[in-house]
Amino acid sequence: MSAVDRPKEQDLVEYRVERILEEANTDTRIVVLARQDGVPDTFPIWVGAAEGNAIKLALDTMITPRPMSHDLIKSFAEHLNITIQRVVISDVKNSTYYAMVHVANKGVERTIDARPSDAISLALRAPCPIYVTQDVLKRRSTTNLDASKDIGAPEVQET
Amino acid sequence: MITQMHVKGLMFDPYNNAYIVVLRDEEHSDMLPIWVGKSEAGAISMSLENVTPPRPMTHDFMKSFLDAFNAKVISVVITDLSEHTYFSKIHLMYEDSEYTVDARPSDAIALALRSNAPVFANNSVITKQSSEELEQWLENLKPEDFGKLDS
Repeated sequence: MSAVDRPKEQDLVEYRVERILEEANTDTRIVVLARQDGVPDTFPIWVGAAEGNAIKLALDTMITPRPMSHDLIKSFAEHLNITIQRVVISDVKNSTYYAMVHVANKGVERTIDARPSDAISLALRAPCPIYVTQDVLKRRSTTNLDASKDIGAPEVQET
Repeated sequence: MITQMHVKGLMFDPYNNAYIVVLRDEEHSDMLPIWVGKSEAGAISMSLENVTPPRPMTHDFMKSFLDAFNAKVISVVITDLSEHTYFSKIHLMYEDSEYTVDARPSDAIALALRSNAPVFANNSVITKQSSEELEQWLENLKPEDFGKLDS
């Protein structure tokens, strides 16, 4: 499935950000998503420190004195009357997760390619639901694992 | 009164472990240094160096977000300096209406560079910052203090 395909509703599983973990001595954070439909499952995504901090600020509903980058995107949406409908972790390729942000304005829907960290950061602020496609859930633990990680995958491949 | 500024570059400030975005006017008579964090500097540096990352970074996504509905960044204005914090506004054009959105200068500049939009500064802000002390400090910076952006 390519990143631009729109998954059907039944193919989407809702997740919620459970917590942000710090990896000792590294510049990465782990965003832990928890499945919401009763099936016990967590879905970890490795992100950079700045990206993890942006998510943590929203998760802890911290009000910063000045708008952070994702607050600004939300502010754009509010000014232009754009509704942030949902974000979908839609693909995994070469150990990198891909996300789509679904937005709408006056009945016109658009999907925007994003890193999961930006999508999740925005979802928490919108707020809007976060989904993972069944396709990604099937493929995450088999062929698309970064050998250095036990579970999940980073959103940007380390170089 | 506002003056158009150009993003001349980024410097590492070893004393504060931060980065400085250097804005200058066309005649190079005025300078506006803005201290930003590491990830904010990274977002600006990628644009200055025309680096296309494999995946959209936050401000690339921000631009896609506006592009999705044909909203255009017209300009960015550094409007104010209050208690050591710069304030800025992003001017957007969307469906024949103009919108003004409050932003941190780092976000505004990172977005302006990606949108080919001009950056302006209120003259009051430029004046406030041109202290001799600061210029002296900048003059004393060694070449190796430049370009230490390792993000």
